[in-house]
Amino acid sequence: MSWISRLATQAPVPVFVAIGDDAPPQTARLALHTGLTLVDSPRAAAILLVAGTIPDALIPHLHRLHDQFPHPRASVLWQSSQPDLLPAAIVAANTVDIVSVLTETRDALLSGAHKTEPDILPDAPLNEWRRIGPHGQGGEGMMGGTPYGRPMAMTADDMRDGLKLDAYTADFGPFLPMFPPGLVLTLTLQGDVIQKVAVVHPPFDVDWNQGVSLLRLLGLPGLADRLLRNGLTASATQTRLIRWSGARAAIPPGLGRTHDGSDVRDRFDRLIADPANPKAPHIDGIHLTDLLVGLEWHEAMLVLNSFDTGALQRICANGGDGDDQRDTETIHASHVGHGS
Amino acid sequence: MNFVLVLPAMIAALALGIWVAAILDATCRSLVAGQGRMSLTAAAPLRAAASYMSRQRLTTEAPDRMNWFLSIASYLALAAIGLAMVPLGPNTAVIGISTSVVLWGACESLVVVVVFLHGWSPNSPLALIGAYRYVAIGLPVMLLSMFVLIAAALPARSLDLREIVTSQAGMWNVLRQPLGLPLFLFLGLSLTLRGPFDYADSADLAGGTSVEDSGADRAGWQVARLAMLVGFSAMAATVFLGGYLGPVLPGAVWLILKTLAVMAVVIALSHLLARMPVARMLGLIWKVLLPLSFVDLLWAGLAALP
Repeated sequence: MSWISRLATQAPVPVFVAIGDDAPPQTARLALHTGLTLVDSPRAAAILLVAGTIPDALIPHLHRLHDQFPHPRASVLWQSSQPDLLPAAIVAANTVDIVSVLTETRDALLSGAHKTEPDILPDAPLNEWRRIGPHGQGGEGMMGGTPYGRPMAMTADDMRDGLKLDAYTADFGPFLPMFPPGLVLTLTLQGDVIQKVAVVHPPFDVDWNQGVSLLRLLGLPGLADRLLRNGLTASATQTRLIRWSGARAAIPPGLGRTHDGSDVRDRFDRLIADPANPKAPHIDGIHLTDLLVGLEWHEAMLVLNSFDTGALQRICANGGDGDDQRDTETIHASHVGHGS
Repeated sequence: MNFVLVLPAMIAALALGIWVAAILDATCRSLVAGQGRMSLTAAAPLRAAASYMSRQRLTTEAPDRMNWFLSIASYLALAAIGLAMVPLGPNTAVIGISTSVVLWGACESLVVVVVFLHGWSPNSPLALIGAYRYVAIGLPVMLLSMFVLIAAALPARSLDLREIVTSQAGMWNVLRQPLGLPLFLFLGLSLTLRGPFDYADSADLAGGTSVEDSGADRAGWQVARLAMLVGFSAMAATVFLGGYLGPVLPGAVWLILKTLAVMAVVIALSHLLARMPVARMLGLIWKVLLPLSFVDLLWAGLAALP
């Protein structure tokens, strides 16, 4: 083992967590363990931890995620009923100390005792070259289309200022750390403004602390850890630190407003002040299009993470604009996703 | 002091500063998180760097490899240039020119360029969004900085950092121009991609411009960010806290102490202040912070009248 590898074994284990449908409840608290670093990007990780079950429809996303890890890499399936999900993965029993498994796996990777995992997917384009359009990419001129299944930006009307800027359509999720686990959306973006939304897969039925997610999105990871550690007990120090941080003022008023007048600020207040008793917002008839279209990326992430799983599942089930849905079905067949 | 001695000393100081900044950052994060038991050791930053270096440098499909590398190297170089302009004594600075404030302003502006390149080069949508967002925020923040720096230069009647330090012999600029340092700290948060001004590498973009960095690239970018924190802190200590001026202790010791103090404040602010969405922050900068910086300039100008 080289001296760099020896030194690296003393660092926290960089882990990217792919949360599945019935992930162990202690998954979220892994972020508090000093022996681990839960990273936001597979590029920063050595180990892919798959917690729970991945539905068949999302397995291709998991395979793409796996192949984005740098070598040497390994994957661990935790509380999974799908031992063949990833060909070379280590399967960890439900009762095992998962931190020890991750640490031993990382150390074995660095020493060479555990071989790095090869790609699952072929290093080739998702789709064949279709030879459509003057330059073969299926768009117009030198822009747009989905050459080899890769979505390219194309000029389109901007809903805010009327300028024809580049619209970009792609799937996002289901393992993006800023998305509720399992959610896959087809988004059309102009810059970072959301122009169209369609639901490809609803979020999993897992409990996650929306207050923690909102604090992370607001750039307060330390306070998010404090909230996660305290669980449903709001301490005076925690409440004071969050108030002084200006987190509430940072959230634009009226953002993500529902029929009962509740907005992200209200839901955030409730999550922080009384995390044990979140108030269910009135969401009948509300679709993600109503909530997200016209918002910038950061605002949209705040809206998505302000709802609990049940509410978000109902919003996703509410359906949306028929044209958007049809477009999505056509586009989705050939898209490469992000965060998968 | 001989240039041949000062240059290695500066590089050593930068390396030491990066290490101290990493320790301070992790400590502050633990304190804010209410982590009872501190398991942090002095070797933690080296271990983290080794962990990055032990993994492969991945690339993306059709990246701009040259600019990807140059963005990381240039960010580090800009931090080193900033530190090199800081006077260590009345006539001692690695880069001792009569227009050093202008050169620092150029470094600030070039940070916007290199951060944009870092997000643009991987050919990846989340990285590109981070790049564009940073430019949108970075431009008005640079304007703010220019007003504040010109105000600090007015009492010295010079754009030379050595003269600006000398002009603070009677009273530091932090007292003479009370709006200056708080506004300049916002620039520091933006230059170092931290906390409320981290619109490039933020959590809502899964790491933004650095989302595709792996291995040595990731280590290099994190080191460059910390290096910029060192360079900025030394510059803020020089422009507003009298730099090397101080009783009893040698000037270099005073400069180090003041730099560490600024660094600690920037790190604390980055963990304690929330980041608002871009449009809301742009409103705050253009409608509140920029007018305040102009008031700062007006205040300094009136005070400097003979």
